[in-house]
Amino acid sequence: MATTQQSIFASYDKDPKFYDEIFDEKGNVKKVYQTLFDLYSGHSSQDFAKLNDKAKASFFNQGITFQVYTDQEAKEKIFPFDLFPRIIDQKEWDIIERGVLQRSKALNHFIWDIYHDKKIIKQGIVPLDLITSSANYLHQMIGVDPPGGIYNHISGTDLIKHSDGKYYVLEDNIRCPSGVSYVICNRTALKRALFGVFNHYNAHTVTDYAQNLLEIMESVKPRGVDEPNCVVITPGVYNSAYYEHSYLAKSMGVELVEGRDLFVENDFVYMQTIKGPERVDVIYRRIDDAFLDPLEFRPDSALGVPGLFSAYKKGNVCLVNAPGTGFADDKAVYTYMPEIIKYYLGEEPILNNVQTYHCSRPDELKYVLENIDKLVIKPVDEAGGYGISIGNRLTQEEIEKVKKTIQASPRKYIAQPIMSLSVHATYIEESESFESRHVDLRTFCLQGADKEFVLKGGLTRVALKKGNLIVNSSQGGGSKDTWVLKK
Amino acid sequence: MEYTIKYKAVNTYESTVDEAFWQFLLRPEENKTQHVRISKFTNSLNAGIEISTNTFGFPICRVHPKKPFDAISFEASYIMSKEVTNPFSALDSVANPEHYALIKSLNFKIDYERFLSITPLTQLEKSQLPVQFSEERSVFDNLTELNEWVYKTFTFKTSVTDVKTTPVQFLEKGAGVCQDFTHLFLAIARLNNIPARYTSGYLHQGNGFQGDSQMHAWAECYIPEKGWLGFDPANNLIALENHIKVAHGQDYSDCAPIKGIIYSNAAANKTSYTVEVNARAESDPDVFSENQLFEPLPFKQQLAFQSQWQNQQYQQQQQLRHQLDNNEDPAL
Repeated sequence: MATTQQSIFASYDKDPKFYDEIFDEKGNVKKVYQTLFDLYSGHSSQDFAKLNDKAKASFFNQGITFQVYTDQEAKEKIFPFDLFPRIIDQKEWDIIERGVLQRSKALNHFIWDIYHDKKIIKQGIVPLDLITSSANYLHQMIGVDPPGGIYNHISGTDLIKHSDGKYYVLEDNIRCPSGVSYVICNRTALKRALFGVFNHYNAHTVTDYAQNLLEIMESVKPRGVDEPNCVVITPGVYNSAYYEHSYLAKSMGVELVEGRDLFVENDFVYMQTIKGPERVDVIYRRIDDAFLDPLEFRPDSALGVPGLFSAYKKGNVCLVNAPGTGFADDKAVYTYMPEIIKYYLGEEPILNNVQTYHCSRPDELKYVLENIDKLVIKPVDEAGGYGISIGNRLTQEEIEKVKKTIQASPRKYIAQPIMSLSVHATYIEESESFESRHVDLRTFCLQGADKEFVLKGGLTRVALKKGNLIVNSSQGGGSKDTWVLKK
Repeated sequence: MEYTIKYKAVNTYESTVDEAFWQFLLRPEENKTQHVRISKFTNSLNAGIEISTNTFGFPICRVHPKKPFDAISFEASYIMSKEVTNPFSALDSVANPEHYALIKSLNFKIDYERFLSITPLTQLEKSQLPVQFSEERSVFDNLTELNEWVYKTFTFKTSVTDVKTTPVQFLEKGAGVCQDFTHLFLAIARLNNIPARYTSGYLHQGNGFQGDSQMHAWAECYIPEKGWLGFDPANNLIALENHIKVAHGQDYSDCAPIKGIIYSNAAANKTSYTVEVNARAESDPDVFSENQLFEPLPFKQQLAFQSQWQNQQYQQQQQLRHQLDNNEDPAL
């Protein structure tokens, strides 16, 4: 027993600089992982190599792939999956669940206020420039009342656990965050590969997500509609998340459509079917704002539906999420989240924000320029981990280059202390053993007119390159099944 | 007074178009000084016409033909009345510090944010600002001077710019059309904290002037206490009874009279537009007859006459104010 344990955890690094999810400071396995650890230790590295192949085959068979865009080409890849699940106990999960729900509600209030009275700006809590300078602030949304008063039906809040053992929010994603299909597929794959381990743990299911999403969509149906017709709209098969679009449509039992399948007549939206036009009431759209309606936004968009926006404005169709939410998940707005939560909900934030420096403020810019080696520099409006510089990984030459970039457009950048993402045991193919890798956690929170839901689980993203801190799938990250335990 | 307005667009395509959508923003706005009595909108394919409203609440027409085609034309006609107004007041040239305090206040900036924001078509850096407003003079005077400056500095010339031309490019070129004059005017007014909106409409240029004239554009600015007032920098005029407003927005992209989405392999297409605006007598029969010649005045002369009248009105108001200033008797 001891020898096999030696072999599969042999190359496991215990670095006291990082919070380890599995081992405590003394190097002992944490209670919640003990059973799993014992079960895994009973297998040889050959067993795991075999299991890993099985799990990979399961992904191939399910057709779960994504595309990575490089300068030259787009590549189809399977999403790297990991055999060692992350386990979150009920007490810890309770904080996360209440915390992400709080943020998602506060953001909804915030977006409503900005597109109506702008009271939070008038009160001097959030600066006007921060909103109007955002490319994702849509003046077309001013005064529009979305069905049910909901803007961010789906929110994906990214959390990390710092070396102090506390969760911190990295960012809130409210422009149709992706990744939920991987959560469900990870569970399926792990069940196929290691069915036995589930007998020892009582984890919440994650497969109820689609049912809840459908209920949320139905709760924001247009006025006067009894049984709403819901659809998922995708940019098409070439989109990197096409698998997820089709997965969600299939598991909700609704149609997956492209822009050309829909048309607008007299401000109502219809779907072309072989039986003739059929009215559409709620659209889960996985198309960016700019491409939704060529008559209102980008005229060269071939993905959208001409006239869709005026149907939406009239309340004849509901878009999930609403257009124009993007200004609120801007990384510069993120830094005001504690104030935003207090202002709208009168509550203290449940989850911590990472200390942030705004390069648009002269004194903070000065600090950033002088301390780049201790900071992470992020552009405020890029998603997917693009354009991030990590200070202590840069050469002197690179630092000078970053400084110049920031100085050229300070509003575009924020800086945060280098947070040490916690580490977790992860199966590494090359060494055929478990090694420690940095992880974060994307949560999925839904809110509708009379209902809210947080997926008990989430996407634990893993930075597969040793020592790497960027976990996005577009940057070579993998993922883990994530168990939230029942009592 | 009354006007007849006729808008015509003719589109021809080299090969068949399978699917197309059009959106039109052509109907004169209903407001305090304008009222449309009769309107007509037709297309050569007799395709159904849908009515909707745009982002700013202005009525739009949409056409979505159900069959493939290789040519389509649209025609809109309106008979409307327009009230003759005189916006000049004795206070126009009084510099009021309260007005400047107001436009600099946070609440004002928030409430008028939509018309103070810089858009891609009104992009201009503060450092490039060619005209700085002076608080020694009234907001009205600053805007009038800006109107004159744009008019005198740039040459009206077609085919040198297009709908995507920015103020910076217009500054370099030194010439363009009413859109370019308006975008530059908007950029400068907004950078000087004056809410300014792009306004599209028809310009009555004198009867008998027909042919390939286009829709017109000018700027509306918010002047404290006075409200929104139109400035036409392409003609150095205040927009009054000869300016028939259709819609306003942040810039041209909110006010395009015609937007078309064409799904076809057609390599090239030809589009031609004509706009006619004719003054009519109220006693004329309510029909859209071809040539209504009423009080013909050549284009240039008509504008010169308007400009002269506006100057006179302004002078009169100023004289009145001086008399009031110098005389204790308010009854005078």
